[in-house]
Amino acid sequence: MSTALLFSQILNGLATGMLYALMGIGLSIITGVLNIPNFAHGALFALGAYFLYTVIQLVGNFWLALALAPLGVGLLGVLIEYGGIRPLYKAGHDYQLLLTFGLSLIVTEGIIIVWSPVGMSQLPPPLLRGGVDLGITFYPKYRLFVMLAAALLVLGAWLFLEKTRYGAIMRAGIEDKEMVSLLGIDIHRLFTAAFALGCVLAGIAGALTAPIRGLNPWMGVDMLGIAFVVVALAGLGNLLGSIAAGLLVGVAQSLVALFWPEASVAVIFAVMAAVLLVRPQGLFGIR
Amino acid sequence: MSKAWLAILAAVVLLPVFVRHAIATEIWIFAIFGLGLNLLMGYTGLLSFGQATFFGSAAYVAGYLLKYHGINVFLALGIGIVVGAASAAVVGYLCVQRSGLYFIMLTFALNQMFYFTAYQWTTVTGGEDGMPGVPRPSILGFDIHTPLAYYAAVALLFLLSLWVMQRIVESPLGKILQAIRENGLRAEALGYNVSRMKLAAFVVGGAFSGLAGVLYAMLFGIVPLESIGFVFSGNVVFATLIGGSGSLYGPVIGSFVFIWLSESVSSMWARWPLLLGVAFVIVVLFFRGGVVEAWARFWAWRAAHRAPAVARADAPR
Amino acid sequence: MPLVRTELLTKSFGALTAVNAVTLEVQEGSLHSVIGPNGAGKTTFFNLLTGQHTPTSGRIIFDGRDIAGTPPHGIAHLGIARSFQRTSIFPTLSILDNVWLAAFARQESWRGLAWRRADRYPELTQRALGVLGEVGLGEKAGQPAREISHGEQRQLELAIALAASPRLLLLDEPAAGLSPDETQKMVALVRKLKGRYTIILIEHKIDVVMTMSDRISVMHFGSVIAEGNPAEIQRNADVRRAYLGGTAAP
Repeated sequence: MSTALLFSQILNGLATGMLYALMGIGLSIITGVLNIPNFAHGALFALGAYFLYTVIQLVGNFWLALALAPLGVGLLGVLIEYGGIRPLYKAGHDYQLLLTFGLSLIVTEGIIIVWSPVGMSQLPPPLLRGGVDLGITFYPKYRLFVMLAAALLVLGAWLFLEKTRYGAIMRAGIEDKEMVSLLGIDIHRLFTAAFALGCVLAGIAGALTAPIRGLNPWMGVDMLGIAFVVVALAGLGNLLGSIAAGLLVGVAQSLVALFWPEASVAVIFAVMAAVLLVRPQGLFGIR
Repeated sequence: MSKAWLAILAAVVLLPVFVRHAIATEIWIFAIFGLGLNLLMGYTGLLSFGQATFFGSAAYVAGYLLKYHGINVFLALGIGIVVGAASAAVVGYLCVQRSGLYFIMLTFALNQMFYFTAYQWTTVTGGEDGMPGVPRPSILGFDIHTPLAYYAAVALLFLLSLWVMQRIVESPLGKILQAIRENGLRAEALGYNVSRMKLAAFVVGGAFSGLAGVLYAMLFGIVPLESIGFVFSGNVVFATLIGGSGSLYGPVIGSFVFIWLSESVSSMWARWPLLLGVAFVIVVLFFRGGVVEAWARFWAWRAAHRAPAVARADAPR
Repeated sequence: MPLVRTELLTKSFGALTAVNAVTLEVQEGSLHSVIGPNGAGKTTFFNLLTGQHTPTSGRIIFDGRDIAGTPPHGIAHLGIARSFQRTSIFPTLSILDNVWLAAFARQESWRGLAWRRADRYPELTQRALGVLGEVGLGEKAGQPAREISHGEQRQLELAIALAASPRLLLLDEPAAGLSPDETQKMVALVRKLKGRYTIILIEHKIDVVMTMSDRISVMHFGSVIAEGNPAEIQRNADVRRAYLGGTAAP
């Protein structure tokens, strides 16, 4: 085992870990504010990748696509929340959840119909092709970019939640919805905003992933499970926890892939199960 | 209530006349699967999104033993039930300690873990290709290879399962689980160990799922990878929902609807899951109580609309 | 002999001390009221007794044993039952079932738990119907609990606690939200229970408290500021200042 291989695997783990953290944060916001585990989160992640692909096909500009794709997913999120989730407010959380599950099927099949059942690939923008010499090893430029971009997005999410008024309202909404509505804040708009924000984060994670792993209609299913793992470990609304959990899962997965590639997916869930056995409330969560 | 049993008995007898035997068998197997889920979903209020874990695990273990070790049918069924219950005990233990949201996410995530394990462990499970060659040994000398004979065996097991589930939901445990669904804190204040009760419900649900899994493996002679996947978990949730989770018989009706729909549509269009998703959304938005509730509402509407007609007929001109 | 006694019972949530070194004794068969302004810590005190919170410090001695730290589902089996300030029933279950479940939990053995038909426990059903009759809900036994009025739900709330055959009854504002007529009925009901059960009562309606209690403890900001019989409490200046607002209600 060369140090170069080990080092680049750890970097891979950090890159995917940051993406896992982004997914976890987005899901955490939706689940925390609306009280429903968003079963469509993985499908929306996939949609972000496919939107990126299409915009690049149409306009040829990666950066524009990277900006537009998440917005597209966010817009869809607004429609979903307004048209599907909100009418079910009285029916209860279980039904809202089931709605998101149904939507995940529709989105995934929709992707197959609109684009293709076969996997596709997407090159990184010319600026980010090729590798960079890090001394210990050569490492793909695009993956470094993803690490950086994801880190900036996570920072942005943190700044939004911790430092802005809207973020404070959202955090309050996770803690105590009744209090928030008593304070005169339109709880329905909060729900829509939280759902849309979660969708944007899923969309951008998907868009960033496309040049690394390519696109296929089921890329979201695996991600859904991972996002659930991150949230289960970190606890709802726990931003730092999501980052830690995401990185933990990402690096663990990469390292296991070196020694036992077949187990690299199952290991994520095994790690989660192990942690929960010892600490049922998750790494940082309260029950 | 015995009207329902009469209807079900009639269905058991008449179904193979109108429907292909294999499909008819599949309906009753799925109904057993749904009964197990509904103990959790309808009665205890626990939305378990990973029931395929227990269905598939039982199918794989029993299927493997049937294929490579030639065990007899009773042992296979028994092992299926035990594996279903045991895997549910493990998963349940991790899940029931967390609150509703986490519970749902964890059942899904653990389902994924089992799925990926089955996917990768190709030497045992066959991975993507599944485990073909599952035999269907005779029961006490009766050959059950013909579709009709197997149908009869499965239908009997279904009736037995329905009876058992009815006993459970009419027992004190059934009431306790409903109380937990309504108000877990108060149930605890009354002296019930809620976590332990939820775990018990989980294990029973797992046992039913396991039985269904073995029967499924013997029906098609193969354990497909999908049988342990989240799509299967979603299917049984849909079937239970559309039948009506508020009733013991809901999953039975739902199984009819779901198997009929999926068998007729999937052969015509590969994108059948899209319709399933649309059906999901429509049911959730407009028909939450499922067929059972729609049926009850229909009869109530009829009763209300009959009376005025009678009055009109008697009214003086 | 006090049936229940707390010694310096304290519960803090971070910087907030909700219950502060509360020492209290309740004699068997007596009715002991706990009063105080909103936020005084009364319900938190009950939560400590029923295991919803673990004490930060102090002891809870019930029938000679320290029961602090008993989980909530163990409390009923000790012989302690509670009614809640905010009605906490099982809405879609029948009124009879609401009460039946409380009685079933307290059985020595749970034979037939998953097997015997629930309506084949004649002694339990009798007991449940009896309790419902006592609170005046006997006629409505078959109705779903959510279909009765608020006042009747408060009666059900009490019935559920009684059905558990407790030795100690913790009643948290049983008259909450009741009209004057309904309050009178509730008072009469609780009065009938005096002597047969040991009762700790939280109540805001002072006239109710004064007429029924053997002893009264007054809480303010988590601490007990006064204790005595009703006459003593009425005369107590600290209590007047903190709670009765200067002029005592006769």
